[in-house]
Amino acid sequence: MYKVAVVGDKDSILGFKALGIDAFPVIDKDEARRIVDTIARDNYGIIFITEQMASLIPETIERYNIETIPAVILIPSNQGTLNIGMDRINKNVEKAVGTNIL
Amino acid sequence: MKVGKIIKVSGPLVVAEGMDEANVFDVVQVSDNKLIGEIIEMRGDKASIQVYEETTGIGPGEPVYTTGEPLSVELGPGLVTAMFDGIQRPLESIRAIAGDFLTKGIEMPALDRDKKWHFNPTVKVGDEVGAGDIIGTVEETTVVQHKIMVPPGVSGKVKSIEEGEYTVLDTVCVIEGDKEHSIQMMQKWPVRKGRPYGRKLNPDEPLITGQRVIDTFFPAAKGGTAAVPGPFGSGKTVVQHQLAKWADAEIIVYVGCGERGNEMTDVLMEFPEIKDPRTGESLMMRTILIANTSNMPVAAREASIYTGITIAEYFRDMGYSVAIMADSTSRWAEALREMSGRLEEMPGDEGYPAYLASRAAEFYERAGKVVCLGSDSRVGALTVIGAVSPPGGDISEPVSQATLRIVKVFWGLDASLAYRRHFPAINWLNSYSLYQNKVDEWMDGNIDKEFSENRIKAMALLQEESSLQEIVRLVGRDSLSETDQLKLEASKSIREDFLQQNAFHDEDTYTSLDKQNLMLKMVLAFYEEGRRALGSGVYLSELLDLSVRDRIARAKYLSEDKLSDIQEIIDDITKSMEELISKGGILNA
Repeated sequence: MYKVAVVGDKDSILGFKALGIDAFPVIDKDEARRIVDTIARDNYGIIFITEQMASLIPETIERYNIETIPAVILIPSNQGTLNIGMDRINKNVEKAVGTNIL
Repeated sequence: MKVGKIIKVSGPLVVAEGMDEANVFDVVQVSDNKLIGEIIEMRGDKASIQVYEETTGIGPGEPVYTTGEPLSVELGPGLVTAMFDGIQRPLESIRAIAGDFLTKGIEMPALDRDKKWHFNPTVKVGDEVGAGDIIGTVEETTVVQHKIMVPPGVSGKVKSIEEGEYTVLDTVCVIEGDKEHSIQMMQKWPVRKGRPYGRKLNPDEPLITGQRVIDTFFPAAKGGTAAVPGPFGSGKTVVQHQLAKWADAEIIVYVGCGERGNEMTDVLMEFPEIKDPRTGESLMMRTILIANTSNMPVAAREASIYTGITIAEYFRDMGYSVAIMADSTSRWAEALREMSGRLEEMPGDEGYPAYLASRAAEFYERAGKVVCLGSDSRVGALTVIGAVSPPGGDISEPVSQATLRIVKVFWGLDASLAYRRHFPAINWLNSYSLYQNKVDEWMDGNIDKEFSENRIKAMALLQEESSLQEIVRLVGRDSLSETDQLKLEASKSIREDFLQQNAFHDEDTYTSLDKQNLMLKMVLAFYEEGRRALGSGVYLSELLDLSVRDRIARAKYLSEDKLSDIQEIIDDITKSMEELISKGGILNA
């Protein structure tokens, strides 16, 4: 069984704990990078990460783009959305289908 | 002997009648200008003669004198450092009497008749000698010891022999056999006949050229054959010059056959200046030049190749390792085509004569590593390297195909590499060497036991690169995994830091095998250490930002006596990778 994790600032992610998802609060980009790289190898199937945090570590997000597992999913934080998560979905749909059907 | 009469002149071809006493391949003198020609076809009493000089002003009715001898070269002291034309006329001495260009009917013995050489006998009166035995030596240049051999077909007891100063025509030794033979330092040999040898050996030792792509990836063996085909401007001539400069042969014969005169000038200007890394003497001291540049008579171009290889065989018979470069055999084939057309023979592919392939084979088959004639069973090697200039760079044309069928090493020059300024522009994907297995054994035994293993790894990377490049062209570089991107970077490093070599840089022009081995290890170390680092979570961009990469790129400019620096770079690679891993890698996170 794969596990599910969420990475981001503490305020945004604590609520996920109630759903039984492992929450990893991080403060800066070095920590974020290290946490993502570590849990990616630790049997996590889905890693949610806040857009704010993801925008600091584009290389790391890129790295898991081409791998099937884990799926790195960008979510808005408590400060609102940067729209990069939705952008990624749109782009992937375009790549897969050839046109944006959303 | 009967004198013939010209009935037709067509460029370098002259047809004469009344020649029933002559034989095919006899040398004749045409008209009263005494132009040198060779009979190449006989029909009844009509002989077709290819004339090795300009035939302007010659007409029917003029006489043709037969010499009854085949076209031969003079072999003896005085060959090395000299420059000859296609039929072995000494260009240097001709210039003294005729000026910068050849005049008609000029005749000049190939070897200086007046110069005295010091002859040192190596056998004593009463010794039993046979064909090929060395009877004495002459210091020809500071690096070449010319060995005087008993000519083929002569054997017996030495009746007299004496040390002293002799000209090439003086008798230095008398041998008492079935009859008395007096031996001069000079012998003559017909160019179209290979000189005899004991037996052929399998070439197994590499011809070390100091050119990284050649020595490491596509080695030629001593006594082997190689071809360098390439379109215009791809650097055939530079490759040939580099080989003539740095190949570890004891004698170099360079045949400039139908190419630009300036290229021969380059040789004449550069070679005396360059010091041979092995002997410390000028390179000219081991070089013989045969020049038939594009403005010299076409028929002599056909002969120049044979003149060159006969001289080379003569030095091989002394037990030397000889390399002959022919630049370019396409011009030679074109000369054959021109003569064949004028003879009204049935043309083959692209107008080349039907016998093109057999003539090319005849030439290349004279290469080989052999046990020479003579009782000391010395071993000599003759390596033949021919440039081919296929029009448009398309090697499906007849000359390239006829050549590739025979030669065992193919260095395919590539116009697109040359355009990208990748020199030597030898394409690593389609070139090959059939001596690889033999040479691998030698390298592993003499240089490093991992040498062939490393070479295979590097070649595999280069091949993977070309298939990855296709993906990159389709979907872009970002869609590759980090490992694949590292592969691309590593193969780029092999291309730029190892394969590319600047012929005009003092240090880069020649790379010893030890340095090649270390350099190859270095570029592979970056790849292997890099892959390990990637595996433990280091980011590719961090790998590529390492400062040690600059040192890798500059390693080729390190001088030969600083090989330990390359070892240092390898250690540095390992060290910086370790640092990266401990800093950002997962294992220690």
